[in-house]
Amino acid sequence: MPGNRLESSNMVLRAAQELFPGAVVALGMGLPCHLPFELPASGGVWFIADSGALGYTGQDNDGVSVDAGGSLVAMLPGGSFTGVVDVAGILRGGHTDVAILEPSQVSTKGDFVHWTTEKTAGLFAPGSAVDMAYGSSTVVAVMPHQGPGGRSNIVEKCTLPVDGAGRLDLIITDVAVIKVVASGLELIETAPGWAAEDVISITDAPLSVSSGLKELTVDIPAIVPPNKVYPSAVDALLDVPEGSVINVDGFAGPGGMAHYLMVGLRDLGVKNLQLISNTAGVARVSAFGSPNIIDHSILVENNQVVKATASYPVSPSASRPSAFEEAYNRGETDLEVVPQGTLAERLRSGGAGVAAFYTPTGVGTLLGDNKETRTIDGKDYVLETGLRADYCIIRGHKADTLGNVVYKGTSRNFNPVMATTAKVTVVEVDEIVEPGQLGPEEIITPGLFVDRIVVRPSDFSAYLDI
Amino acid sequence: MISVPDNPSTNGKLYPSGKDALEGISIGDTVLVAGFARCGIPQKLLQALSEIEVSELTLICQGAWVQESTDFTIADLVATGKIKKIISPMPFHPVYGGLVKKAWESGNLELEIVPQGVLAERLRAGGAGIGGVFLPSGAGTRFAEDKEKRLYDGREHVLEFALKADYALLRAEVADTLGNMVYQATSRNWNPTMAMAAGVTVAEVDTVHEPGGIDPELVITQAIFIDRLVLSD
Amino acid sequence: MESLADKERLPRDIVAMRVAKELPDGSYVNLGIGIPTMVSSFVPEGRTVFYHSESGILNCGPLAEEGNEDIDLINAGGQYLQIIDGMSFFDSAEAFAMIRGGHVDVTVLGSHQVSATGDLANWMLPQRGVGNVGGAMDLATGASGVIVAMEHTDRNGEPKIVQECTFPLTGKGCVYLIVTDLAVIECDGHGLTLKEVAPGWTPEEVQQLTGAILAISPDVKEFEL
Repeated sequence: MPGNRLESSNMVLRAAQELFPGAVVALGMGLPCHLPFELPASGGVWFIADSGALGYTGQDNDGVSVDAGGSLVAMLPGGSFTGVVDVAGILRGGHTDVAILEPSQVSTKGDFVHWTTEKTAGLFAPGSAVDMAYGSSTVVAVMPHQGPGGRSNIVEKCTLPVDGAGRLDLIITDVAVIKVVASGLELIETAPGWAAEDVISITDAPLSVSSGLKELTVDIPAIVPPNKVYPSAVDALLDVPEGSVINVDGFAGPGGMAHYLMVGLRDLGVKNLQLISNTAGVARVSAFGSPNIIDHSILVENNQVVKATASYPVSPSASRPSAFEEAYNRGETDLEVVPQGTLAERLRSGGAGVAAFYTPTGVGTLLGDNKETRTIDGKDYVLETGLRADYCIIRGHKADTLGNVVYKGTSRNFNPVMATTAKVTVVEVDEIVEPGQLGPEEIITPGLFVDRIVVRPSDFSAYLDI
Repeated sequence: MISVPDNPSTNGKLYPSGKDALEGISIGDTVLVAGFARCGIPQKLLQALSEIEVSELTLICQGAWVQESTDFTIADLVATGKIKKIISPMPFHPVYGGLVKKAWESGNLELEIVPQGVLAERLRAGGAGIGGVFLPSGAGTRFAEDKEKRLYDGREHVLEFALKADYALLRAEVADTLGNMVYQATSRNWNPTMAMAAGVTVAEVDTVHEPGGIDPELVITQAIFIDRLVLSD
Repeated sequence: MESLADKERLPRDIVAMRVAKELPDGSYVNLGIGIPTMVSSFVPEGRTVFYHSESGILNCGPLAEEGNEDIDLINAGGQYLQIIDGMSFFDSAEAFAMIRGGHVDVTVLGSHQVSATGDLANWMLPQRGVGNVGGAMDLATGASGVIVAMEHTDRNGEPKIVQECTFPLTGKGCVYLIVTDLAVIECDGHGLTLKEVAPGWTPEEVQQLTGAILAISPDVKEFEL
């Protein structure tokens, strides 16, 4: 007779071993929802629910916030709210490190069925599990090993239509931890008192036994939030490699531009940059700008820019060309002109895991040339692809140390959209505050998108000496 | 040509009752209903809808999976027999069932299951003038059957088309008379997306301020998306 | 032609005033740069129009007074705005969702050329080889109605209303009304109809300065303000 089976709370706690500082963790309905109730409330990881709660705990309840299963929870300091469409973007766009689901059945190939059994066959209940499974770096199943009557929930091939094909990485049950590898399922941990053979005997799928097989424990690692605050712009951008794609805002005038980070990038001198930005630096040549204001021109003049993707790349006046236009005319830079709304949508798509989309903008024009067109419900569209970047430098008004950002007025524009698109997002703000000082309904860019924060020094001038 | 706004006059967005605010809703219409679990459900509008002579409606919503609720929910509306079909990621709780499950099992209600993120993205596309989107979600599953697929970055993506509806029933804690709205906590959920994706949007709100009563930085749903307002009590 | 070139045309503010008459009460309107910007000053009394700007603001108010400029409160042209009640801020993706999704009722744009079928060409002069498209294409395609407000002829006296655009297009068949310093012309996607002429101008004179054939409306009249 093998040992006891794990209680459901311990099954869930075992999943906590997959977390790490700063991890974004999406929790599906059922057992996964218990994790924030079992773990001490710490800001070390971001628990997110498809209800729109980002950064919450189950240790408390504020009477108004619910998790994926509809249970009342409370926001941690620095937690925030968003809508379901943006949660889906966080899930699908690769911003989630770990997704934890409770499938009703899993297969050798890592397929899973979510919340559907023979009893409710014909009804499917994907909820957000599909988006979680297709966008997260690691997908963990937490489920009882066997269903009613001793039927194995782990099978060679799912007997019901699946909600995710080959998406699972790890399966935690009440008797074992099983890794999904290329060759099938590998048993890596067993519950106390359970031998590998005991687990194999109740599993309807072949299990290989790991050479490092060990006993399942529910030790919980202490997780503290990673430090995101950097001492200077140069420090925050030190690792930008040559040839990087950089998203940088710059709507038109002096607001909304990360002047301080731009100067940092200039001082580092890193070459062959490809900028994605609404303009390629026109503040210095616009009537409402100022001839000595810092804009993208400082990077162009320093020979760091080889390409711009922009909607407003050149000066409004041909007689007052911008640095970019001069470089372009000398053949030193490439240019891709994109309608502004298409640029915003391509960035939003890149950040939200939308690979491509059909937009009506640009049909029958130069900017729609050589692109696929399609008629949908009698209307013509062109196909545009999502845009991502290596780094993003954005300008916020305030941030907290977790990276939550608020903006000011129309200086918001491209900043929150771009913040979702880069491997490394660096934000420049006027002030850094403690978590909780920005309200959960006030936060525009949730900290889970932001990697590094710098304060724009109070004596920093956005104007150059000329 | 210019589409004539639904409510020409500045303060004309505020309606005296739920029934008035739903004027024009017709047999066979598709109706978006916001809400997630107990949060952000436009109860008064659902109740008003249940009292209107209308049938064969299609609802697009999160589903009705809250148990033992005294609230007026989608399940109560389904019980009136006015609903032909529900499009949802989880129309009822798979374990607890309820009125929606009963209606479905008796053959009186059609269900179309769409993963939550796919449904949200299709509605956003409809509201944002996008014709279709290629999403990774659901590749290799029944949700991708009979749909166009393409490889991007070596991964299969599925073409999903935009979705729009005739009416949207929304709920917010606070609005101004222009239709700017803010939500409390997780009652935001489907509201901002659904606000974009319907011909006529109706919002049930607890409090209506004069313009200027809401901080412009905090507005989540902008007035441009809202046609009609009604007070919740 | 010589005499017509010298003949007095309507000033820009009158053109803006005529456009303003077209804006329905309660509508959401996006104004381009130039004459379109002036339209907001002439909305008839009793009507409320809400302005959208792709800088991420809805319900934009009047321009800020000198000395009160705030770099975080601008319109798409970079002009500083006043704070008014009921405005809201949002990001660029949302700003263009409003436009492309058909939520903006009317946009008023300037243009280099408009064709007989309502094609719009306003973003690029071919001789420069590069242009700023900004939000023009999204506005031309997405707004429910596109009104063009412009001078009837260019600096060299060449017609800006042409049979077919020779400049790169912004949108195809999107313009439904053209208001110039000489005329009000309706466009149904197939052809142009002259509805109003500037005081002292005959339909025939307007036709002479137009590069596309104009059908003369049977009830053609003088500019109605």
